[in-house]
Amino acid sequence: MSLGKTPVSVVNLGRIAYRSALQIQQHYIKQHFDSSSQIPNTLLLCEHYPVYTIGIRRAQYPAEEEQRLKDLGADFFRANRGGLITFHGPGQLVCYPILNLGCFKKSVRWYVCELERTVIEMCSKFRIKASTSPDTGVWVGNNKICAIGIHCGRYVTSHGLALNCNTELSWFENIVPCGIVGKGVTSLSRELGRDVTIEEATPVLLEAFSKQFSCALTEAQSFSDHTQQTVH
Amino acid sequence: MAVCVLLRCASANLTQALPRLSPSNVASPARLLARTCFKRNLTVTPRFCSALKYTDKHEWVRVEDGVGTVGISNFAQEALGDVVYCGLPEVGTKLSQSDEFGALESVKAASELYSPLTGEVTEVNHALSENPGLVNKSCYKDGWLIKMTISVPEELDALMDEAAYERYIRSIED
Repeated sequence: MSLGKTPVSVVNLGRIAYRSALQIQQHYIKQHFDSSSQIPNTLLLCEHYPVYTIGIRRAQYPAEEEQRLKDLGADFFRANRGGLITFHGPGQLVCYPILNLGCFKKSVRWYVCELERTVIEMCSKFRIKASTSPDTGVWVGNNKICAIGIHCGRYVTSHGLALNCNTELSWFENIVPCGIVGKGVTSLSRELGRDVTIEEATPVLLEAFSKQFSCALTEAQSFSDHTQQTVH
Repeated sequence: MAVCVLLRCASANLTQALPRLSPSNVASPARLLARTCFKRNLTVTPRFCSALKYTDKHEWVRVEDGVGTVGISNFAQEALGDVVYCGLPEVGTKLSQSDEFGALESVKAASELYSPLTGEVTEVNHALSENPGLVNKSCYKDGWLIKMTISVPEELDALMDEAAYERYIRSIED
């Protein structure tokens, strides 16, 4: 049991293509298995160009569905995370914790629950009453404000959560979000009736994360900081 | 072949029960079996090898008639939550020990599965596509994942038996 707070580096990638973020996640995952690395637990923050992504349950999204969504002007990706179809785009704060659960608790179920609690706590700072439901994610009533879908291999996590700040929610009308019929989506902006940007939401999310996971967040200047340190 | 495997399994399971051997009391494997298995119904059949062995990634393997059945442990299924999807390999897939062979999805999390042994997939549990919850409800029986051949039987010796696995879990939980 570690008595001190686990250090976690925060790397803000800014607006970045989904494909590029996947590659960067792989870089940090690899760091966990490279024993010479000194950069283990990392929290990646970013915002994507419009993209629909699906998880490992691929059967319900055949090629025709992929084409239909691409014709709408978005990209389409099949990821190795859990969860069904979702949308990422401008105005949505995306957070990819690349953590070794050995530093916390070696349970995927616990980890997802802590992510949900982090977002609920963060919403409460905005005086939004959010909650969990039998469906993973964070809800305000019957509307999902934050989607969660993760991957875990050898206790190293990747993918993560996507919180709607001032996302254009009509993008979600083209899909059944997360495969859940009869429920909707919402955002911080919609709930508060004012524009809430990613920039405003980010520090609030980070504070909730460090509290929920009892970790010490340190901000890295940029992704290139970390890549330079690993150059041999 | 079966007898060799039988004795190898016996020696793996008996290492804790055996007294320290000195030159004076070294016995043949058969006599050691008879001496230390007095509590068991000793039958000289491959069924004696059906004790579970475990990996440190919480997969178990049970060997019967030279075929290994693989699943995940109770500790693992509890840590996952309700399984909603099992992504499993095709029959004929060749696996090396520790190779990733599939993933289980629960609570929107995809968790990788790692092969306990080197071998070839001979059967996949198709009941899981309709009823993935079997992994939670019956992780040692109906929730089995794959069956595979065993190319390197010595790998079994290095896996944990039930007592060692119990100790391992306790050390994680502390």
